[in-house]
Amino acid sequence: MNPLKIGMISFAHGHAFSYLNSLLSIPEVEIIGIADPKRGRVADVISKHGIAYYDDYRSLLEQSMDAVVICSENVFHAELTIAAANKGIHVLCEKPLGVGADEMNAMIEACNNNNVQLMTAFPCRYLPAVIQAKQAVERGEIGDIVAIKGTNRGTAPSGWFVDPKLSGGGALLDHTVHVMDLMCWITGSEPEEVYAYAATLFDEKLDVDDAGMIHVKFENGTFGVVDTSWSRRAPFPTWGDVTLEIIGTSGVISVDSLGQVNELYSQEAGTGQWNYWGDNMDLYLVKAFVQAIKQGDQVPISGEDGMRSAAVALAGYQSIETGQPVRLRV
Amino acid sequence: MKVAVLGSGGMGGVHADVYTKLENVRLTGVCDVRIEQAEKLAARTGATAYSSFDRMLEEADFDVISIALPTYLHKEFAIKAAKAKKHIICEKPIALTAEDAKEMIAVCEDNGVRLFVGHVVRFFPDYANMKAALDSGKLGRPGVAHASRIGGHPGGWFADDSRSGGVILDLMIHDLDFLRSCFGEVSSVYALNAKKDTLDYALVTLHFDNGTIANVESNWGYPGPFHTKAEIAGSKGIIRANSLKSSSLQIAKQGSSNDPGASVVIPGSPGFRSPYELQLEHFLSCISDGGNPIVTADDALKALEVALAAKESIRTGKVVYMQGGRNQ
Repeated sequence: MNPLKIGMISFAHGHAFSYLNSLLSIPEVEIIGIADPKRGRVADVISKHGIAYYDDYRSLLEQSMDAVVICSENVFHAELTIAAANKGIHVLCEKPLGVGADEMNAMIEACNNNNVQLMTAFPCRYLPAVIQAKQAVERGEIGDIVAIKGTNRGTAPSGWFVDPKLSGGGALLDHTVHVMDLMCWITGSEPEEVYAYAATLFDEKLDVDDAGMIHVKFENGTFGVVDTSWSRRAPFPTWGDVTLEIIGTSGVISVDSLGQVNELYSQEAGTGQWNYWGDNMDLYLVKAFVQAIKQGDQVPISGEDGMRSAAVALAGYQSIETGQPVRLRV
Repeated sequence: MKVAVLGSGGMGGVHADVYTKLENVRLTGVCDVRIEQAEKLAARTGATAYSSFDRMLEEADFDVISIALPTYLHKEFAIKAAKAKKHIICEKPIALTAEDAKEMIAVCEDNGVRLFVGHVVRFFPDYANMKAALDSGKLGRPGVAHASRIGGHPGGWFADDSRSGGVILDLMIHDLDFLRSCFGEVSSVYALNAKKDTLDYALVTLHFDNGTIANVESNWGYPGPFHTKAEIAGSKGIIRANSLKSSSLQIAKQGSSNDPGASVVIPGSPGFRSPYELQLEHFLSCISDGGNPIVTADDALKALEVALAAKESIRTGKVVYMQGGRNQ
């Protein structure tokens, strides 16, 4: 059987390392090259695994391959995705899919026109607790869903993440999309109206928001809220969380996605830590992408899915400007 | 000091039991239109039972009245008690409307009696501990807070919005008051609510003048044990409370002889003095020495105004900007 040839463009987003490790563990995958304008960022992995290096993604895309994984700065997702699509290459793109509705539409259109698939990297769909919660909802175990309270709190990143020219936004953009995608997936409904509040409260030196609360009303009447704040930092015992309180008419499902931890107290760390021992969601995300491409199936998380959640975050920023909820363009 | 209790439901019973425990306090009367309720409480506490408040005012000897009636009755009886020159400890929320609350405050002032409102969460040790950590500066500048209050639907008059105000006025008001005590005045309120049969669920986001954002969750309709959670994340640290996780006692028992397989686990968090005892003792000492309470009637009014703003936001779908806040 021919291996699936995959290239990777940019390791700006650290998830690239996890995706690479996941890909390397899948026997039917061959990594054909890594493109990154900053060689230092990938020097270790190219030498360790003997992977071809390209400083220009265009050179990588000249190679024969089936798919690329894009983990660039957010503002380059569109350019890179469209370039890959035009070469007939399938794309797995890091979230948020884009930083504007027009460019995300262009990404989806380019992939459609070239008959390639676009998958958005929402690994939280590959958390076993999330999957089982969705199944419990579908079995009607808590009646009809009326609301979801979610959190995706994290530790403030640095570098391009906090440069709005490269990231397109702060914590509200970075951390709305994962949980919003889960809310859309679990409710099976479309976001209709958004209100957000965001500000720079934890580190005043940042040029982007690091505290946010975003609210959404869905077409089916369900509503939700997500805390998107980069409110975690040492000595908090872990980097962040992904939680969902799913409120139904006859029950509540609480998901603490990353709650599978042991408490570690070591003098080496100097402070208590939560050691995660649950499944690696990135591995299952990447496997699902590989399997869909190999078998010619529809990828499980589409470009439209990516755009839907990013559009909520972008509408959130708009609502901050107006000080009132905004309707989403449907 | 002589006290009486009006209303012999759940909270009336709590007040009456506390009064029998406090030193230098004598419970002289308990009153309920459901006389058998009042008699039961009287038998337990040694007080005299009344079915009419007017009668209790005439016959019983007391300086302070605890009003533990359904919310819609607070104003009528508070005003009656104030005019009879009784100091008042009223259960929360103070009233169903800001106008009623203001009238209660004014009538008490006019009659020279004190008015206290039972925002008892201020006296819960886990919450007092959180606020102390915030006030000590260990959290730095507060950024984002959460507070959740989750339990079953109490039913009865609570289920009637026109009498209880629903989950926001009756239950969430605890957290609204607590968060105001932590962060000061609220500048805007956005709220979401789902009401279906025996479920009343609300999410309310507050933005404070000091910049802090808080999301407050209340659930009447949770099919499990009542519990509360709260978190304050600041620029230097985070404090988190969770009443389920901080239970210091758990009793696991085999089921009954009928159904030995059905075991039960009862979580608890015992203390030598209940928050209600601390609260009522504090209010009584304010009456004796004329001191200022930890939580004032004006605080109760402000918490009510925030709760009412949340209900307005639900009605209109808009963000409600509080007086003095940003106007849209």
